[in-house]
Amino acid sequence: MTNAGEVKPLVTFWGTRGSISTPGRITEKYGGNTSCITVQHQDTHIILDAGTGIRNLGIELADEHKETQNTPSLHLFLSHTHWDHIQGLPFFQLAYLKDVKLTIYGSPQKEVFLAAILKGQMDSEYFPVGMATFPADISIQEISEDVIQVGEVTIDWQEQVYHPGGSVRYRLRVNGKKIVYATDVELNRIFKPHPGSGEHRAAARDYLEFVSNADLLIADGQYTEEEYLSKVGWGHSSIDLLVKTAYEAQVKQLAIFHHDPQHSDTFLDQLWRKNRSKYRSAYKKMEVFWAREGLTLAI
Amino acid sequence: MTANTEKTLKGDKFAKDAASDKDSGCDETTTKLSRSTFVAEVPIKLRACLEIIGFRKRKEIVELGQGEAVIGRMRGCTIRLSSNNVSRRHARVIFRNEEYHIEDLGSTNGTYVNGIRVAKCALRSNDQIDVGGVKMLFTEERILEKV
Repeated sequence: MTNAGEVKPLVTFWGTRGSISTPGRITEKYGGNTSCITVQHQDTHIILDAGTGIRNLGIELADEHKETQNTPSLHLFLSHTHWDHIQGLPFFQLAYLKDVKLTIYGSPQKEVFLAAILKGQMDSEYFPVGMATFPADISIQEISEDVIQVGEVTIDWQEQVYHPGGSVRYRLRVNGKKIVYATDVELNRIFKPHPGSGEHRAAARDYLEFVSNADLLIADGQYTEEEYLSKVGWGHSSIDLLVKTAYEAQVKQLAIFHHDPQHSDTFLDQLWRKNRSKYRSAYKKMEVFWAREGLTLAI
Repeated sequence: MTANTEKTLKGDKFAKDAASDKDSGCDETTTKLSRSTFVAEVPIKLRACLEIIGFRKRKEIVELGQGEAVIGRMRGCTIRLSSNNVSRRHARVIFRNEEYHIEDLGSTNGTYVNGIRVAKCALRSNDQIDVGGVKMLFTEERILEKV
């Protein structure tokens, strides 16, 4: 979108569901595909996670490729390798085009190499085509630098420990805007109601610094406060705590993401109706909304 | 009972059901219909509309086709809204991959779906759209189309 010559980065939600894909009529508004988001700025395409939502992204990019013959250079940043963040990769159409270049980045802190994990899900026991047969030029990198430059987008990252197996949050800076992707983290274990240990305080400080003043924060809000009580240790955050924390960090727009598979459109709409006035009065300067599949924002 | 009626009650369980039907005063057997009665060639078409709500006290329903519908202030727009808050070519609705999408066309006041300013958005039935203060309701339904 152009405004007075300015090209704004576009953020598109291709998959917003957590844990497992949930197709069907009751999830068609907010979407049933698992985690996948793109940040596009001019010719730079950054993909955040490869849940089942990446399949639709692949279809759209393949259509564009057919029309324009442009071969995009794609950069996929994985928060972690749980199924709902990698399961769409074998169905990503662009991986089957030989002139496409795809670089995949992930945490260096896995006990097993990232490449082995990704290739493992395409082992013949699980999938008919092996990853080695992808015609695209695919490079898998465990992140070694503190800051990565992709086109005009500068990306830094932090490990998140409060998720089983760990996860990575990413911060993208482009055009003076800051977009943070911080999913699959249990904020309730960092921001305890009573002062926690030194480790908790450090984790809280790191989180707040990382997301502070984000123009858009895409963050895990899988549970209601009531649901969270029976999900302690599962690695996900409760919505009210997320909203409060984001506001403290002076986030401008908060996209609540990684919807629980049990949360139907009706459930999310009712939750929104219940909380809308509270959010609007208590957190006036922050826009809060449910991330929704098929939504593109200009930041 | 007609000539093509076929007895469908067989076996002990069904015999019991028949007895029960008789007890309840229902003494006729069920007529079996051929499969062709149920399988008819009826393609399904998607019908989508934008309902313009309360613009200059008028209520208008615009049926969307499968081409592009431009919303704006300028003459020639598919949906013309003569308001200074609406840009000349403000937004467009397109049909792609079997669903409708709205795209902002670089408007001054933005395009909102359910209160969120969007660059683009795949539309779902009952989405509330706001274009320069003009409110619209998107609805879609699947209809049977006669061959």
